[in-house]
Amino acid sequence: MVNPLLAFWRRLLGDDDRPVRSRARRMPHASATQASETIFLVLRRMRTPLIVLIVIFAVSVLGLKLIPGQDAQGQPARMGFFDAFYIMSYTASTIGFGEIPHPFTYAQRMWVTVAIYLTVIGWAYAIGSLLALLQDRAFRQAVALQQFRRKVSRLREPFLLIAGYGRTGELLGHAFDALGRRIVVIDRSDGRIDDLELDSYRADVPGLVGDVRDPGHLGIAGLGHPSCEAVLALTDDDEANLAVTMTAALLRPDLPVVARTTSPAVARQMRAFGAPSVVNPFDVFGDHLRLALHAPASYQLLVWLQSGPGATLPARGRPPRAGRWVICGSGRFVRELARDLDADGLEVVVAKPAAVSGTLDRDDPASTGDGADPAQVDLRQATGFVAGTDSDTTNLSLVATASHANPDLFVAARQNRPASAPLFATMAIDALLVPPEVVAHEVYAQLSTPLLRRFLREMPARGDEWAAGVVDRLTALCGRDLQAVWKVRLTAREAPAVQAWLTSGRARLGDLMRDPADRDEPLPAVPLLVLRGEDCSLAPDGDFLLAAGDEILLAGRPTARRSLETTLQLETVTEYVHSGRRVPSSWIWRRLSRYEAAPTTNPTSRTPDSR
Amino acid sequence: MNLEKVVFGFFVLLAATLNFGFFIGDIDNPALHNVYELFAAVVVSLITTVLKFGDRTQLGAVHLATSLVADLQLLAAALVWGYAEYVSSSGVTPGSMASVVSLSGGALLANLVSVVLLVVETVSFQRR
Repeated sequence: MVNPLLAFWRRLLGDDDRPVRSRARRMPHASATQASETIFLVLRRMRTPLIVLIVIFAVSVLGLKLIPGQDAQGQPARMGFFDAFYIMSYTASTIGFGEIPHPFTYAQRMWVTVAIYLTVIGWAYAIGSLLALLQDRAFRQAVALQQFRRKVSRLREPFLLIAGYGRTGELLGHAFDALGRRIVVIDRSDGRIDDLELDSYRADVPGLVGDVRDPGHLGIAGLGHPSCEAVLALTDDDEANLAVTMTAALLRPDLPVVARTTSPAVARQMRAFGAPSVVNPFDVFGDHLRLALHAPASYQLLVWLQSGPGATLPARGRPPRAGRWVICGSGRFVRELARDLDADGLEVVVAKPAAVSGTLDRDDPASTGDGADPAQVDLRQATGFVAGTDSDTTNLSLVATASHANPDLFVAARQNRPASAPLFATMAIDALLVPPEVVAHEVYAQLSTPLLRRFLREMPARGDEWAAGVVDRLTALCGRDLQAVWKVRLTAREAPAVQAWLTSGRARLGDLMRDPADRDEPLPAVPLLVLRGEDCSLAPDGDFLLAAGDEILLAGRPTARRSLETTLQLETVTEYVHSGRRVPSSWIWRRLSRYEAAPTTNPTSRTPDSR
Repeated sequence: MNLEKVVFGFFVLLAATLNFGFFIGDIDNPALHNVYELFAAVVVSLITTVLKFGDRTQLGAVHLATSLVADLQLLAAALVWGYAEYVSSSGVTPGSMASVVSLSGGALLANLVSVVLLVVETVSFQRR
């Protein structure tokens, strides 16, 4: 029998089947040793002030001891060392208890006057030096570095190392934080690291101001840490990303690396080191645009699932299938896009916006040659328009001109700066490229769970109508906001209660997805994919038969996740969910009701519509 | 010649010699142990400690440790003396004097270790 407490302990103490990572390698940590010894810096700088203070005290105390005084009867009386030290202590700290044990003679008063000024100078010097040291930039950096190092080395959960905390890093950081994953951030600008503290993360995110090109900094940020599970190179500098990819591939060849670049040449260089997955936002946008043209529902599902928890269902576009496309702009993005659309058999015209008037880019195979304003290119015969320049102002004005000339146009635009987002939101744009978001979504799909990545890769091949069906099922059960995407493994460790049922060969997916409170109600979740060995079934229906060891990717509400966990952990719940029998959970009641474990019970009761 | 080394060696040796000067003599005879000498030993020992701050080497760490031990012992000796003279009703007895001097004897041992370390450091530097 399984009682809930046992299941709980099993979850808590059960050994993890995650592959044991190799022990931390030796990392270059020249800057790391510096960081640990801030205290020596303080001590070294405080030497002179402290010695000055000791000498001043010694001289003052000795003077008070040597100078003869007299007691109340006028007899000569010398102060002891203790009296002298006591007087100097309260005098130097400006407390001033007065003249003890007897009123001072004039000689003593003269000496105390000198001593007061000396000790005040000594204290001021010592405290001033200490404060100056605390204000010192190098010192504060050393302290921050040491704190960061301590935080990272104390991380016991798996974490992602994000090199470059720009817009992309921020989006990804929040997406992974929502999934309960830990991240460590390193960025060149201290402003971005300061923002980290203001951002509302659930977990503590250690951030370091440092150069990602420096292997020592990456080492401190946890590259050599056994819990580091992936490295993301997301700076806006291709060379820095290449350096991160190289460092990670050479020092930790076992770690997955995701790097961002917009240059195919840099991507080739990156692939020379290990097998990083390189994300090129322009390339991805081209693929997405093609998908959006062929299969709007597939594109809708892709964008929705990629956006992470909390995303609202994006609108489904109605793009034109054929016709002439006008692409405005120049450079890498326009070339990539023209090639993609051209390969799709579309008629592509590349035009220069008037705002960047100059000679035409002769390399473009399909350029019109007249470098004209989009109004001059005949937009009335075009079906699609892309505003793809480097300037947001130009893009906005191009979109406005194009929509004015032909309201039926399918308009795509590129947004370069995050600050322009509200302006683009007001325009009627059918497909908007925001490079950081594209990269963030792509990386999220790759790293959140491998099953989601698999689903997204195989999904477009199933066609548009199939995708529309999946979207309908998701919206019917879980609403228009994507709540959670998670996976369950039907292994003996993670799903102990259903093992017997699974081996019976009668484990219908639809029976598993029933509500433990009322089995006639389906759980508000949709199984997106079932992986068995290397074979995967996409969005299987309720009659799909499960087997032990299957992995299931689900999308739905968090309540469904909790309910499903109960079903997988507790035999009594499993029994109720698949056969409708209410089984007593205690030993006594089982004896009394003569319950026998009946894993092969045929579920004969009504089956709810799994949709 | 390194001036820093001169100052450092000077203070380490002075701490040891002052300590020795205070320690020598019959252990319970106050006439043989000068209070000024103890004062000087405490002050010089404190300065020596501060001079040893911030050395990251292993030898430097041991140096600092010996100095801290000497400070502790000397301050304890001074406290015992102060207690005997001002607080205790019987004044400075041979017994209290003996504990003062024996405490300073402990400090002397620490100071001697310090001197040995200094010599070791110097010799190994010469051979390199």
